[in-house]
Amino acid sequence: MDDIRSRPTLAQLDADGAIEEALDAVAGSSRGQFLRSAALGSAALLAGLSDTVAAAPGPKRDTAILNYALAFEYLQAGFYTEAESLGTIRAMGVERERWARTLGAHERAHVRILKDVLGRRAAGKPFFDYRGVTEDPDDFTRTAVAMEDLTVALLGGQAPRVSDRSLRAAFFSLLTVEARHAAWARRIVRVEPVVSAFDAPKTLAQVDRVIRSTRFRARRPKKEGRGSPRFTG
Amino acid sequence: MRPVAGGALGVALAVCAALLAVSAWGPLAGLFGGDTDAASVTERQPVGAGAALPDPVDPAFVPPEPKGLSGLDHVSFWSPVKRSTPVRARADRAAEVIARLSKRTPEGTRNLVLVLDRRRDARGTLWVRARLPSEGNGAAGWVPRSALGGYGAVSTHLVVDVTKLTATLYRSGERIFEAQVGVGRAENPTPTGEFYIRNKLTRYANAFYGPVAFGTSARSPRLTDWPAGGFVGIHGTNRPDLLPGRVSHGCIRLRNSDVLTLERLMPVGTPLTIV
Repeated sequence: MDDIRSRPTLAQLDADGAIEEALDAVAGSSRGQFLRSAALGSAALLAGLSDTVAAAPGPKRDTAILNYALAFEYLQAGFYTEAESLGTIRAMGVERERWARTLGAHERAHVRILKDVLGRRAAGKPFFDYRGVTEDPDDFTRTAVAMEDLTVALLGGQAPRVSDRSLRAAFFSLLTVEARHAAWARRIVRVEPVVSAFDAPKTLAQVDRVIRSTRFRARRPKKEGRGSPRFTG
Repeated sequence: MRPVAGGALGVALAVCAALLAVSAWGPLAGLFGGDTDAASVTERQPVGAGAALPDPVDPAFVPPEPKGLSGLDHVSFWSPVKRSTPVRARADRAAEVIARLSKRTPEGTRNLVLVLDRRRDARGTLWVRARLPSEGNGAAGWVPRSALGGYGAVSTHLVVDVTKLTATLYRSGERIFEAQVGVGRAENPTPTGEFYIRNKLTRYANAFYGPVAFGTSARSPRLTDWPAGGFVGIHGTNRPDLLPGRVSHGCIRLRNSDVLTLERLMPVGTPLTIV
């Protein structure tokens, strides 16, 4: 049986521990514990895609990698957009507000272009439950730091595996932008933007386990039915 | 002579070194804003291994210009009820219980609430002020955030005028749809107040309700013992000849073509104002 304590979480991505230390100082809330230890299972970000990504190099694998990147961009874009729409970002002060608005706009641009490139093969937008993280400035900030670091780890692992050279070039351009996002996010919380001379990439399985541990991916609520109405008529 | 000869040699070496340095770093100087232009770099090739490197690969895509959000004043949030929960008068777990939210609607869909406000209590618990299913006047109460699921956002708002007998849909503050409607008779009036669209039913076999029926959070103040709680629907009809008019038990009836248009334009979770 899978021991939830054995699953990688933010703590394992945050190799230097600096993020958590700094953010605990900022927030000191139980939400910090949530990201470190919450590990109850939820749907994978894109169930089954990992298998396709592991397939032989070629267009099929490139599409799978693009779709995984799209799913991740959905997660990020939704996160920033929800926080901005709820007014959380507006309450964070000038410096953080500019940072969060900028990153949100970038992530939405990434979603648009990946959807365009994939066309009809683009995966649908998942339903997310950010579980209150977008509703508190400190929780939002600490999660953004972790999310940007995770994005760099994801793209660093997958960009070299893209077969098409021009697609690969575009992926590396996304990667460098996400790395700047990560550095900016770390600067926002006053931790070292760069902690090592080399970034080790993460496997899809590692990234997926971290996403699962957040439980941000949720089942889409059933809002439509086919039963006969019993309204007052 | 020796000192002179030594000095000349030193000067010659220094000049050679400087020329070599300029030659080798010329291209980089150009990159970083030096005065070496592309033509002069080309003329000096080959300058080393760098000259043989290929150009960058053209990326397959370039993201569009990032855009900020707009129209946030017209955005509303809904959320599914994740677990049955008491609704309290204040954001405090000791506050009076004023209602209870169930996970499902009488139609079997997930129960939704409209998110009105959020607040953290002294213990650090996050609470959400939610619009409740009610008989009118926009009843609302507080539930723990943990009892709700993710947020969905809509920028639409439906306004039903029971005096003018119209339904008007706005998106981001702009009117995008208007139709004539039938509403409740005097003895079974359509309740007025602030409500929201809770669900949508399709593909049922009941011509009385037309092809599409939206469930709302509004309840009839008179038909409280009606099956499934007396909720008001917005639906089509098999008697379009009665519209517009005061013809129903409280439901809002539209012509079938109008309700099909509304289905295309109005997402579940849309706020509903009945005036």
